[in-house]
Amino acid sequence: MTAALAACALLASCGSGGPQRSPLVAAVGTMAQAGLGQIVGRGGGTAAVAGPVTRADLEAAGTPILRAAIAARAADLLLTVAATQGNIVTWITPDGTTFTLRDGVLIQTRGLGADLMSSQAPTIGQLLQDGGTHQRRYFFLGEDDRQTRRTYDCTVDVVGPETIEIFDRPHAVTRVNEECARPQGSITNAFWIEGSTIRRSRQLASGPVGFIVFERVVD
Amino acid sequence: MPLPRFVALAPIAVTAALCGSAASAELPPSLNLSGQPGVIDMPSGEAREDAAFSFSAAFLGPVTRGTISFQISERLSGSFRFQTWRDWNRLFPSDDTEFSDRSFDLRYLILRESPLLPAVSIGLIDFTGDGRFSSEYIAATKNFGERVKVTGGLGWGRLGSYGSIGAPFGDRPALTEGDFGKPNAGQWFRGDAAPFAGVEIRLTDTWTFKGEYSSDAHLLEDAGRGIIDRASPFNFGFEYQRGPSVRYGIYALHGTEVGFVFHLLLDPKNRVTGGVMGPAPVVVKTRPVRTADPEAHDAGWVTQADAGPLLRQNLARRLAVDGIVIENLAFTASTVQVRIRNNRIDAGAQAIGRTARALSHVMPASVELFEIVPVVNGIGASRITIRRSDLEALEYAPDNATLLRERVAITDAGPLPANAIGDDGLYPSFHWGLRPAFRMVEPMKFEFGARLSAAYDLRPGLILQGSIYGNILDNLDRTGAPSTSSLPPVRSDAGRYSKFGNPALESLALAWFARPAEDFFTRVSFGYLERMHAGISTEVLWKPVDSPLALGVELNYTKQRDTDGLLGFDEYDYDVVTGHVSAYYDFGNGYLGQLDLGRYLAGDVGATIAVDRVFVNGWRVGAFATLTDADEDGLGEAAFDKGVRFSVPLNWALGNQGKQTMGATMRVPGGDAGARLEVNGRLHDLIRDYHTGALDPEWGRVWR
Repeated sequence: MTAALAACALLASCGSGGPQRSPLVAAVGTMAQAGLGQIVGRGGGTAAVAGPVTRADLEAAGTPILRAAIAARAADLLLTVAATQGNIVTWITPDGTTFTLRDGVLIQTRGLGADLMSSQAPTIGQLLQDGGTHQRRYFFLGEDDRQTRRTYDCTVDVVGPETIEIFDRPHAVTRVNEECARPQGSITNAFWIEGSTIRRSRQLASGPVGFIVFERVVD
Repeated sequence: MPLPRFVALAPIAVTAALCGSAASAELPPSLNLSGQPGVIDMPSGEAREDAAFSFSAAFLGPVTRGTISFQISERLSGSFRFQTWRDWNRLFPSDDTEFSDRSFDLRYLILRESPLLPAVSIGLIDFTGDGRFSSEYIAATKNFGERVKVTGGLGWGRLGSYGSIGAPFGDRPALTEGDFGKPNAGQWFRGDAAPFAGVEIRLTDTWTFKGEYSSDAHLLEDAGRGIIDRASPFNFGFEYQRGPSVRYGIYALHGTEVGFVFHLLLDPKNRVTGGVMGPAPVVVKTRPVRTADPEAHDAGWVTQADAGPLLRQNLARRLAVDGIVIENLAFTASTVQVRIRNNRIDAGAQAIGRTARALSHVMPASVELFEIVPVVNGIGASRITIRRSDLEALEYAPDNATLLRERVAITDAGPLPANAIGDDGLYPSFHWGLRPAFRMVEPMKFEFGARLSAAYDLRPGLILQGSIYGNILDNLDRTGAPSTSSLPPVRSDAGRYSKFGNPALESLALAWFARPAEDFFTRVSFGYLERMHAGISTEVLWKPVDSPLALGVELNYTKQRDTDGLLGFDEYDYDVVTGHVSAYYDFGNGYLGQLDLGRYLAGDVGATIAVDRVFVNGWRVGAFATLTDADEDGLGEAAFDKGVRFSVPLNWALGNQGKQTMGATMRVPGGDAGARLEVNGRLHDLIRDYHTGALDPEWGRVWR
């Protein structure tokens, strides 16, 4: 009996609240991951893939799909729509991380750890205005979970037409760079716009998460 | 929501990413063998990053030293240290004096480093002890380029014992036994002063060389006790930094000894996981515009007989995902009040946001005001009133947290609405848990065991709770001998309770919590309140929701329990009335102060002052000091008891959700003077989480 109780205490916390992972076991798990240089957040990927996913596989699902690649998390994810409100779409991963985009421009994330809590971002009209300027404001949960902000002054540079390929399908797009600066440094968000749809983009989420590459795979 | 099946295959490819660490221009502050910014044995002029917290363990020949250090503010830092010596009585076999020592340090950064000037700090080492380590210093440190750092300083006390240049501020008066344990202000910067110096050279990103000239002659250990042989003032060694939190060092000391050190460096401000983990919330559901769909806004639904149970059931299902339980639900056509118990989410603001989001999905469109009352132990702690149209309008707005806070009212919870629907299934209810328990008695003295706890919620605010603790392993020395204290052994016999009562019934008590009037909260606890004392404890707290000040009164009558961990009272014939009046004050930026005046367990009368730094993520580090009229050592002097405490939320380290914490309180001398009853559920800590002092700093999480 004593031994059983001891084992229970060491390996797991038991109780009427349901089984919980023991803090010790969880800590070891966290350290092991950290040792590999990848404390993967939710959205860091959970399942392995048997073979390469093809466009036919994706289109067979009959639902819009957005691809999100986060280099800092070594994550490459396929997202589906969780909710739509006007031109604002919230996309979700299977494990419950969300990315909210307004007309394809990232405005919020939830579940990445260092999340983009809210932002003031340009409209797609502003992004197509070569030489246009606007202010960008990012709001994060920063040190000690307190809200922090970054404010950038941005200029739009319409680079020109390009052809990109997303899952074997070519798209004729206009490449746009949004160059943003503040006294502490500068960032560039990039957009590949097909008509009035942002087909591909590389946008900042937060300092620790860095940039996310989005691809609108299935409309 | 159900997701298409293929999404389980979501991650297409995983590529390795390495977290590159940016090399900084200067060498960051490093710690010495005493766990303070310094070289090897000597201190430096630097301060660490605000809030830096560390555990250090040093093994220096026969000396073992454990230190906890905390950067209290940007300039002020403090340490608590525990030392033991092997072979202490080598020269005096018949001597049985103490061979361990506990000490406190404080240091203050006078000058920050600039391109021309060094960083300069002034410090006190062992400033309340019996003088074995007492020393004071002023030290300056300057970086030269990216690889070299030089320190020079002047020390007094122990740090003035080798190579003295004279006594610039006069003689150092000797301490008498009555001075032990109190601030030795009469000695500070008195007596011989001696210079010391050191250098730190970064060899690679991870390896550092350190060398120093020490002004500590180690008279006590060398000449006094013969346990080390100090042959040289020069120490040198190498340190290896592994990741951001671990540093090792190996040194050649005094020309004769080898020393090792291990530092665990923690940053309470930054979660190990990089941020708040856990799944995203559901989006706010927006109501149709009234003109477009007037029917949706019709208030006729309130007359439906089953509206209440139905809404409650739907809401409960949505809140269960986040571990939130509905205590009560009351509504009219335009207002809903939901009383919630937040069982899992570590930030009250996030629990409030999740509840508001759920309400937006469940409540009919005519309901415009959401009143959320967080309930703690049956008491409504506060009431957060959110207009639904603000919630809808601000979800995607830039700076949505600040904008929402401007429009939200946080007030007294108010009485339970007359039309509230309670949950028949919620009371009575029973829960239990078996969890590992860890207790740190000194920086290097641990106890590890398991705690079986159970609670029976009889009705809102009335809880029967109990716990049994079993020790599994520890590195404590327990003789089981009765205390030699001249006071009633209300705490000094703690070792006997550990030795004779394992496992022991720690607590078995009935507690009643109530909110009798606006801003007033009460508690009555009766039974086996803690492992050493049993009886009745009563408390009244006045705490307005948005006031930084709270006042409390506590009155207890207790008897001392038997050491066997069972129910009896035969061993000690001791009962006492204790009580305090308390003032709590929130100074802002996370600094909380508390002043208690009253009578302690041994019958002594006095006051305790405490300051804690509380972080939004739940970290808590504090110190306290108690002065009472107890004549503990028979010297006719007042008793001075002090200590440090810290508490680390496990979710900070593990990224999981949950409110469990790991912590310790370390008292010096840990005797019978100034001891208070340890009773569960003191009101201020329970209530404060949902008052503006705690909710405002974490308000960013309302949208998380």
